Parts: sequence; C-alpha cells; structure tokens
Amino acid sequence: MSARRAALVLRVPSRTEFLAAIRDVTRRMAETAGFDAAQADQLALAVDEASTNVIEHAYRGAADRRIELRFHDRGGELRVEVADDGQAVDPREIPEVDLRRYASERRTGGLGMHLMGRIMDSVTFRRDGGGNVCCMVKRKPERREASG
Amino acid sequence: MTELSVDSRELEGIVLLYPRGFINAHTVRLFEGEIQKALDQGRYRIVVSGSGLKYIASAGLGALMGVIEEIRTNGGDIRLAELNETVHNIFDILGFNHLYRIFPSEVEAILSFREGGEAGSPPA
Repeated sequence: MSARRAALVLRVPSRTEFLAAIRDVTRRMAETAGFDAAQADQLALAVDEASTNVIEHAYRGAADRRIELRFHDRGGELRVEVADDGQAVDPREIPEVDLRRYASERRTGGLGMHLMGRIMDSVTFRRDGGGNVCCMVKRKPERREASG
Repeated sequence: MTELSVDSRELEGIVLLYPRGFINAHTVRLFEGEIQKALDQGRYRIVVSGSGLKYIASAGLGALMGVIEEIRTNGGDIRLAELNETVHNIFDILGFNHLYRIFPSEVEAILSFREGGEAGSPPA
C-alpha cells in the first residue's frame, strides 16, 4: 500500500451557506485521520476561516464562483488546501492582531487569519494557475500504544 | 435548516442573549442584530449565555469586538457564560479571555453586574 492515505476533494459554491458543509466534512475528515473531537472542531474552524477569506477577499462576495478544498491524510499530518481562482490575496497585508487596540479602534479584520495560524502548525499561501492556494498543515497527535 | 437562533430576555436591566447553533460569516448578522437591538434601547449590560452555542468563528468574535468599546464607554459590558469546551478554547486561543469576563454559569455572570466593581472595563 502506498504511503499516501485518504484524500478528498470538495468543490463548493462561494456562498456562506456552504460553510456548514465545509465544517462538517472537515471535522469528519479530521476524526478519520486520527484527531480527537476537540482538535477536529478546531481544524473545522481553521478551514471555515480560510473559506470565508476566499469568499470575502479573493471573490469579494461574488456568489457564483467555486472553492476547492483538498484534504490529504499524509500519515503523520493532515494537509488541507483551500483553493480559489480569484484575485490575488497577499497575507502580508493582514496586520498582526492586537486585541486591545482592535477593540478601541473597532477593528475586526484579521482575526480569522490569526485563528488559522494559532490552530494549524503551518499556514502558507501561493499563487497557482491564476488563483490562490492556502495550504494548512496539522501534525497528528502522538499515538499511544495500548498497554497491558 | 436554521444554523443559528438567538433568543433574548431582560432581567434587572441586563439583556440576556441565548445564541443556539453556529455563529460564522453566514449567521453573524443575526447575532449582531440582537446585540444592536439592546444598544438601541440603551441597554449596555449584556450577558451572552452560550450553553446552546456550538461554535463561533472570527465573524462572531468580530461582532463582539465591534461593539465592546461603545458598550464600555457607556458603563456597560458584555459578559459570557456557560461556554462549551470548543467555544472556550477559541476564546483562549485568541486571548479573548483577557478582554472579556467569562463565567461558568449564567447566574454568576448576572450577579457580577451587581458587584461593587463597576462595569466598563476588561478583566484585570
């Protein structure tokens, strides 16, 4: 059997009502890959945030586009790519989050990116074929051997 | 399927909000609207009682951030109670536990407004 394990590709319209389906599939995929329920919930949140970013920034709210999610169980880690064919998004333009300053300035942007970075082990962006790809990786927890 | 509902009631001048379901970019306007209703009525003491809240994304956190300064400037506060582990973890990850007071129970959150310490400031 090859080292590559479960892979899944999901294409959904760029509409926020599909975030629930994205969340459900991500959670199920994470649990299948070996993450516990709490970790699976956090992974679902990170993918929800990445998909929301696509809708709001790459597609600027256009509801007739597509988001492609690619899940790869790579043995020791789960990799999730969120791809679009929208306009370039430069994550360097997103400022560091300072919560107290945010509150005083009534700013709310950048929280999603901050959450993604805190939940995942790595979050990277690249341009690919006229679109953006956000690649998120989460290492699996150490598996404890059953004793006795 | 309804992903979010938000019931509300008032007790001793405190607005209690009961979000049930999921708050994300799709549902956040309903949540924002319920907070705004309270502010429009001059109610600046708000408890978000989260026993029915399964999940909150940054859109929902942004809704809280967007009004907190106005609320505290008016001597009030948003306090949170009965958050499940998932939601609590999200607050911890972002450091919201330093910005908002979070209580194990709705009763404790309500009683906190009666304490001598005036509202209008983040947790110490």
